[in-house]
Amino acid sequence: MNKAYLGIDIGSISTKGVIIDRNNKILASGYLWTEGNPVQAVKRLLVSLKDQLDHSQYQIVGVGTTGSARKLIGVITDAVEVKNEITAHAIGTTSQYPQVRTIFEIGGQDSKIILVENGIVVDYAMNTLCAAGTGSFLSSQAARLGVAVEDFGPIALTSKHPTPIAARCTVFAESDLVHKAQIGHSKEDIIAGLCNAVVTNYLNNVGKGKRIAAPIVFQGGVSKNVGVKKAFEAATGHQVIVDANGHLTGALGVAIMVKRKGVERPFSFELAQEDFTTRGRECSGCANNCEVICVYRGNKLIDAWGNKCEKGAVKVG
Amino acid sequence: MKIGIPRAFLYYRYSSLWETFLETLNVDYVVSRETDKAILKQGTIRAIDEACLSSKVYLGHVDALLGKCDAVMVPRIANFGKGNILCTKFSALYDIVDNTFRDNGLQLVGYNMDPIKSGGELAAFLDFGKKLGKKKPESFYAYTLAKQAERIDRQETLRQHEESLRKPGIKLLIVGHCYNIHDKYIGRPVLDYLATQGVTPVLADDADRRKALESAAALTETMPWIFNREQMGAIEMYRDKVDGIVLLSTFPCGPDSLANETVIRRVKDTPILNLLLDGQEGNAGVETRLESFIDIIRFRREAAYGEA
Repeated sequence: MNKAYLGIDIGSISTKGVIIDRNNKILASGYLWTEGNPVQAVKRLLVSLKDQLDHSQYQIVGVGTTGSARKLIGVITDAVEVKNEITAHAIGTTSQYPQVRTIFEIGGQDSKIILVENGIVVDYAMNTLCAAGTGSFLSSQAARLGVAVEDFGPIALTSKHPTPIAARCTVFAESDLVHKAQIGHSKEDIIAGLCNAVVTNYLNNVGKGKRIAAPIVFQGGVSKNVGVKKAFEAATGHQVIVDANGHLTGALGVAIMVKRKGVERPFSFELAQEDFTTRGRECSGCANNCEVICVYRGNKLIDAWGNKCEKGAVKVG
Repeated sequence: MKIGIPRAFLYYRYSSLWETFLETLNVDYVVSRETDKAILKQGTIRAIDEACLSSKVYLGHVDALLGKCDAVMVPRIANFGKGNILCTKFSALYDIVDNTFRDNGLQLVGYNMDPIKSGGELAAFLDFGKKLGKKKPESFYAYTLAKQAERIDRQETLRQHEESLRKPGIKLLIVGHCYNIHDKYIGRPVLDYLATQGVTPVLADDADRRKALESAAALTETMPWIFNREQMGAIEMYRDKVDGIVLLSTFPCGPDSLANETVIRRVKDTPILNLLLDGQEGNAGVETRLESFIDIIRFRREAAYGEA
């Protein structure tokens, strides 16, 4: 029996999972929408992964979770490693592209830049409060223009004169876009302009003051947009690599971390049949009124969090 | 008469000075409770929406003192002399509070510190004593004791500060205003989180202030705000002694936005995390940023010394 490692990346929009062997070879992978229900999404993911794995050869010996629901899913799967998505992405990318120097990542709600030297992360930056120029911005502009966001890239490539659009702030960008459409700019020029705006905004915000060296790998949902990829190449003067499996990088990274950690815990796909529920309750211990989240397997409480102090602590066991 | 002191803003810098002064003069006082969600909520309702998070917290604390005292102490601190100004908030604070709470019949007391236009701290405190109905020699004595208490307090802080610099393992320099770092609802969760990760926070605010101001010149010659100059001086003093720097600011702090930009552009050899707090519910975003920052520092250390 060979050892296998499961990595799950549960983002706000999509849930990704990979099973790897000792040599980081991907044995099974899955990608589906989270649909606001991470527990359900992971159950569906496990069903899909189970069908792909050769159970006579491989046994999963450890689970790792990353992404914004990593804590919840980490509790449910009894994960060995629960890691933030930045670290997971860095490790996943360097395992596939050992020479990489710069990682661009634009997701649904955040964007980040990770700088790597000799396979080691040396610096990174993440957007602060503002979600300007992320995937959700592009989706809302697509809706305004009556175009599916998936078609943005191919349409942008047909433009000959991208419309300059103010990219500093989503609110200004939107009013600028409306104005440009009203004075007669064509749709493809506006869409290409938006792709350029995302890149300008990214390089001026998270990329500000960072030395961007090639090879560059571009990840996250927005990397599927060829218009943005092309704009990045024009702005940096370097070729930008978009991996067809780029969406799996976070899951891959955390699976590798599980393997490196060397801690093993039993795992069974039967988990997908178990009943997990979460219940929120407001603690009335003080004026903070913390929202305490309790996680149950069947009727048994398995973990709870959200309290700022001991008053809101829930006994587990 | 009972004085109410808001546990916010410069209370975190002057608590021993203010409390010893009032105690020596036999003036009864009460300090508002630690910041919680209710205080921030009240402050947010009271403040204009463009005000910074820290000033919303301040107004929440004033609100929490309503009915608990006869007068609230709100000093006006405009500057520390020529070339040493403070954020406008501190010179406007008395008027802001007076105006915000004008329908609550709130009494205010305080001192007016504005060495550029009037006297220094001693003159301000003698005047403060007078407003409290105390004679000049009484106030002078109380001020002298208060300064002594402040000095002893500061020495103890400095001793602990130097101890933290000697600790093994990962050390992060936390750069932020005292009223953000020590606030239970704003900065303390950050420090608590660092403790769970086995990281030693070194507070820039705890550095020797005179030395810090002298060191600041290496990073900035023009930074107008003295508190930011102190912090930048501390960065210059410790950038080689820590593994990374966390710039902790509240949104939208004007002075910090300039100071942080300057630091990010001029300090290139030490990893920097710019952490902007906005009183959001839930601290997942903050924890993600801190955790990944610590991971990166660990990777760097592993690469440099081969240690885990």
